[in-house]
Amino acid sequence: MINNKLKKTYTINELKGAFLFLLPLILFLLLFILIPIVGTFITSGFRDVSFLEKKFIFFDNYKTLFSDSVFWHDFGFTVVFVIVSVSLEMLLGISFALLLNQYLPFRGLLRAVVLIPWAIPVAISARIWELIYNYHYGLANYLIMQLGISKEPINWLGTNIGAFFALVLSDAWKTTPFVTIILLTGLQAIPKEIHNQAKVDRAHFFQRFYKITLPLLKPVIVVALLFRTIDGLRIFDLIYVLTHGGPGGSTSSISLYGYKYFLSGDFGYGSAISISLFIVAFALSLLYIKIGRFGKEIL
Amino acid sequence: MKEEKVKIIITLTVAVFMVLFCLVPFIYMVVTSLSKNPDFLSLQSSFGWTFGNYKNIFTARTLHFFEYLRNSIIVSGVSAVVAVFIASLAAYSITRLSLPAKSFILLFTLSMSMFPQISLVGYLFSLMTKLGWINTYPALIFPYIAWILPLSLWILVSYFMQLPKELDKAAIVDGCSTWQILYRVILPVAKPGLFSAALLAFIFAFNEFMFALMFTTDYTARTIPVGIALFQGLHGEIPWGNIMAAATITTIPIVILVLIFQKNIIQGLTRGAVKG
Repeated sequence: MINNKLKKTYTINELKGAFLFLLPLILFLLLFILIPIVGTFITSGFRDVSFLEKKFIFFDNYKTLFSDSVFWHDFGFTVVFVIVSVSLEMLLGISFALLLNQYLPFRGLLRAVVLIPWAIPVAISARIWELIYNYHYGLANYLIMQLGISKEPINWLGTNIGAFFALVLSDAWKTTPFVTIILLTGLQAIPKEIHNQAKVDRAHFFQRFYKITLPLLKPVIVVALLFRTIDGLRIFDLIYVLTHGGPGGSTSSISLYGYKYFLSGDFGYGSAISISLFIVAFALSLLYIKIGRFGKEIL
Repeated sequence: MKEEKVKIIITLTVAVFMVLFCLVPFIYMVVTSLSKNPDFLSLQSSFGWTFGNYKNIFTARTLHFFEYLRNSIIVSGVSAVVAVFIASLAAYSITRLSLPAKSFILLFTLSMSMFPQISLVGYLFSLMTKLGWINTYPALIFPYIAWILPLSLWILVSYFMQLPKELDKAAIVDGCSTWQILYRVILPVAKPGLFSAALLAFIFAFNEFMFALMFTTDYTARTIPVGIALFQGLHGEIPWGNIMAAATITTIPIVILVLIFQKNIIQGLTRGAVKG
């Protein structure tokens, strides 16, 4: 009995110690992430506009949001943008990963080259792309004309469709490296013996890809896909710098729409917009965590 | 034999495409920064080598390039070091000490890295205004630490897991306390992991845009991504040459870091597998 009691107090001390080590992490996450989310949610229930008296209005901001055609436009734009750009990134990512998984000369250097777009801050690369898409003297129109793809220069940033694809291409440039690296790790986990056996069985390498590589890689693809979807939904920097949501608001994302309200001092409505995005992103991240089965090798 | 040939052709095509895709915008930036005329690709213009753009961004006081770069390095550096320190305490607790709900803590932290920043800035902006921190380093450093903690924690947890438990046992036999085990035994052995985590944390903080845009008002605290995004000439024209020179000076060190430490970065990204 004494033994038992001793053991119990020891465990409590141990717990205290373990918790103490965890405390700074918990404090930072609580103060700068969790409380702000709750705070934003509370603010979304108020009429909270500069120079006006703050007033609790329950879900009125959300009611306005539901009938706000600009919000639905931006919501639709964000979803379509994510579908198109993430598809392109996955396609490029798989091609690059398959390439880097082979025995190549300069493989290390090639891997580093792929990482370069990832490491450059989005806001800075967005300025480079802004010059690339310049109607009169940008690189994009220069290449298109030189290669004979089009006789006329394309108005990249001045038309709705041009601005959309300008954003898709720039986003793919920035995020394909991440997809490539994740998929490459997945490829390296596939035992070489499986491929060798298939070679013995005279399977063509396209067959090997569809019948062996792709099914085995599927879990990793799903994780990369979900991660990029969640990340893409919150897109802000690239659009803020490259198109400002233009022309005429056609490329405005949910984050940019919320930002505009915060900027103008309407914190209540801005918060409602942000919370709507948060709910979508959070639901998807729960799915991501469940599917990704993170930490199964850790815990 | 035929299959081998097809394979070589496809491999080469993809390799050339990949290198061009990744490098062309980067090269275009460097080349434009060295040209007198940013419109050198049009027929009416010529190239004209110059270092004038570089000279200009360091001498033209109105651009504040040096201040933006200094702010970025200080803010990202401090955030990365503090975040990795805090994350190493937590990772030690999770991997070594008796703690209930370890997986819940890890997954909960992971889910936070998925939160859209826009759903934090409204509240944080009011908080920073109340604290009088707008346009100061702390307004960025504190949220940045929280923002890069999940990534750092995941990298360090997976790293600490690989360290043999015998290390701890030997230290306990030697009479070390929990603190001593951490800073005398675990941290020295985990240096490569700590370095990877700090490098990634630094790059993420250096890339951050929305907080820096909202919580700073001028060059006293504004970071380089926001600075370059808002670069404007005196008469409203876009000073492309200066922008590209500033972008080059900012990105070349990062690119060199990536080239040298690509293995650490790839390990960190895939171990953490949390952020893009």
